[in-house]
Amino acid sequence: MKLQTEVVIIGGGATGAGISRDLSLRGIPSLLIEKGDFLSGASGRNHGLFHSGGRYVVSDPEAARECISENRILRKIAPHCIEETDGLFVSLPEDNLDFRNQFVQACQETTIPAHLLSRDEALSLEPGLHPDLLSAVKVPDGAIDPFELVLENAKDAEEHGATFLLHTEITSLLLDGNRIKSVLAKDLLSDEEYSIKTSYLINATGAWADLFLKRLGLRIGVALSKGSMLITNQRLAQRVINRCRPPSNGDIIVPNHTVSILGTTSVRTEDVEHIEVTPHEVSLLIEETSKMLPAIKDARFIRAYAGIRPLFQSEEKGDDRAISRGFALIDHEKRDRIKNLITITGGKLVTYRLMAEKTSDLLCRKMGVNVSCTTHLKPLPGAEKPSGLKNWLAPVGQEEILCDCELVRKKEVEDLLKEGNLKNLQDILHRTRLAKGTCQGGFCVYRLLGVLHDLGMAKGESNKILQGFLEERWKGIRPILWGSALKEEELIEGIYKGIFNL
Amino acid sequence: MHYDLIVIGMGLSGLMAAKTAIEMGKRVLIIGKGLGTLSIFSNTIDLLGTIPQTMKMKDGLSQWVHDHPEHPYGKVGLEKIEEALSSFNSFFPPPYTFQSKNEANSLVPTGAGTFRLTYLIPSTMMKGINLKGKRIVIIGFEGYKDFYASRLADSLNCRGITLSLPENPSTEITATALARWMEKPFFREFFGTEAKKQMRNEELIGLPAVLGIHDPMGVRKDIEKKTGASIFEIPVLPPSIPGMRIFNRFKARLLQQGANFLSGLPVSNVILRKNRCENIEVFHPPVTNAYSADRFILATGRFISGGLMANRKKILEPLFNLPVSQPGSQEDWFEKSFFDQHPIHYSGISTDPSLRPIDEPGKPLFENVWVAGTILAGHHCLDEKSREGIEIVTGYWAAKNAMK
Repeated sequence: MKLQTEVVIIGGGATGAGISRDLSLRGIPSLLIEKGDFLSGASGRNHGLFHSGGRYVVSDPEAARECISENRILRKIAPHCIEETDGLFVSLPEDNLDFRNQFVQACQETTIPAHLLSRDEALSLEPGLHPDLLSAVKVPDGAIDPFELVLENAKDAEEHGATFLLHTEITSLLLDGNRIKSVLAKDLLSDEEYSIKTSYLINATGAWADLFLKRLGLRIGVALSKGSMLITNQRLAQRVINRCRPPSNGDIIVPNHTVSILGTTSVRTEDVEHIEVTPHEVSLLIEETSKMLPAIKDARFIRAYAGIRPLFQSEEKGDDRAISRGFALIDHEKRDRIKNLITITGGKLVTYRLMAEKTSDLLCRKMGVNVSCTTHLKPLPGAEKPSGLKNWLAPVGQEEILCDCELVRKKEVEDLLKEGNLKNLQDILHRTRLAKGTCQGGFCVYRLLGVLHDLGMAKGESNKILQGFLEERWKGIRPILWGSALKEEELIEGIYKGIFNL
Repeated sequence: MHYDLIVIGMGLSGLMAAKTAIEMGKRVLIIGKGLGTLSIFSNTIDLLGTIPQTMKMKDGLSQWVHDHPEHPYGKVGLEKIEEALSSFNSFFPPPYTFQSKNEANSLVPTGAGTFRLTYLIPSTMMKGINLKGKRIVIIGFEGYKDFYASRLADSLNCRGITLSLPENPSTEITATALARWMEKPFFREFFGTEAKKQMRNEELIGLPAVLGIHDPMGVRKDIEKKTGASIFEIPVLPPSIPGMRIFNRFKARLLQQGANFLSGLPVSNVILRKNRCENIEVFHPPVTNAYSADRFILATGRFISGGLMANRKKILEPLFNLPVSQPGSQEDWFEKSFFDQHPIHYSGISTDPSLRPIDEPGKPLFENVWVAGTILAGHHCLDEKSREGIEIVTGYWAAKNAMK
């Protein structure tokens, strides 16, 4: 199929979706191409920390300033994606109080509101903290739902004329002199091929940035840093709990809906596609985070996962944590004489909007148009909708529940399916809380496939899909199988290998 | 009261041990916190699913026993395996029996539209083992989210119907609730009428395994009459109604024969002196009661039931603190693929041939403790499809040895 657009955006993470929205609000048509679903990369594989900037305030004040400024904006435009929990930076007896003092001072300098709390004050806020802590600094950290955030950006972009090709991979780029004139792409599920004529191309592929640029013989030097995380089956603290020390392994616990997420590690990697959490990382995360919240030692875990941080570096080596978490915006016209290509990578989830704004500004300058960004002013479409637990729980008891862990209603899933456009199981799981609870889809995915049959929408062989899901699920579960999680696993294995003989 | 035998664990292996001892005229107490995995996994009686349909079970099993001396079957031996199975069967006289077809494994359809090889099949599932050339309809129920007639029908290449329930149509219903409803004449009347309306002259109806808990054959007969079609049950997601039937039958018979049941509470402690177990303690809040016996059988199952426990480093047996044979380190517990055979499942309690737990050099640890069921080491009941077989056979054999 032949298509034509003004701008092709490659990558459906927060940055790509953010650019899509930004451009659509400026009236510039765009087509976003993503080889998986939205959020298939780091945007969907992080701890969901809504940064105050505190975490970088000492090591990288520039990134911290961006964080706090975006933090303030997102509270206005995306309140429904954010839980305003606050965060504590906890100092333990073995921590250096000089760092804490430096931290408080740096917060003042970067305008991050920070309050020093005594041990007793901190314990009264979070009774689960280690009783020997020395002090805690309270900052406006929070929890953000990346799925809601990115899908809302996409939805608003679509309403303003943006288009998307998901599950579609770039197969080649056609150049005319030093301009990219068209993009060839292929739908990975239907095999449909596209030839897309475009005036500009934005590479928003995050960790894949260099892989994409390789097609043009270019490289900007993105360091890939794997960060692993663990999910507990309960929410162990109400606030974000950070360790008040220079960034290191296992120094953060982020509340997320009903669970807590423990993070992170930092391991340099070369492979973006195959990442797994090692037993060593699991031990490290538990040992380190349990120093702040001792209950973690006995907690039940439901999943381990890892994401890849794309870190932009100027060639020198060193600890990845020393590399700026700020973003890189590259005009390849200046750097490599390719007139119509921009790369945006690095950055944080919380700065996605700023990254989109700067990228769109650069694009507008290149296009010679003068339209201003409005994404910092216009709330996302769902910002008006009522939120809160009460709302969420109301229908329970009157309606059939597909997922007993996360109380996902059958009707909610049916409505989503009928809306259409969902192409595979992953698309459905990205848009519901199915498979996110304690049993990790051990029951509800079987049920979901049944519902698809009932609606006459089952595509492909359901048991193949189920097997594929169980294999994918296994990757996240295998590293945390002991205690109660192991019991659950014996149950799930007994069902699928035993009763159903899959 | 002092007992000849206390059985710890009320799953199928514990029940078989109690049955065996009581039939030897012994005073028996069986203690358990639940039904073991009977109400979770057990539908049919798996003996050894690795034996192909075309081979007589006895021939396949005899080879297996020969090749696997450390497997529980290897320890018990072919002759005792057969004795144990006929003892189990003696609790299930007609009409609700467990039988094999041609003394070999048969393929039974499951709720996922797959087939699995199994050995003894309850009467209510028997008509499902030969579906070839039959006009079949699968019937499910709206609000029963663990069974999807349309999905099964797509796999079996037949029709699927989902019936709306007569009351509270928008809420959920569980397998247990459906099974209870099936025991009520008004519901069978409703089922018959509704099914007939939607049937197109099919001769065979496949239903989830919910044909009542107490009298499945009576229920089946009645709805076969009302629909004019033959009916077979299909194993589904837990809970397992057929497993509950097994438990109920054992409990009723054992009570009749004078066994004592203590259910709902786990054994909290065992009192050991030298190489004997003297007492067990059960914590009934707020008091602890002690029960004494000459002999004890440990039949507490694997991880789900709490017979085995794992911390981040090690697998433990929490009650007697028996040594657990296990892989060298936690990293070796599981393979890369979910569908691989995971080494952790071979872990368990090592025993001598009489099923007494042994220490590293192979010496029995206690003179009056035996071990039965899936907690034993050296089998892979999931992949072998041998769960119920191991439970029945080792429960029987442990009690035979204990009461010798």
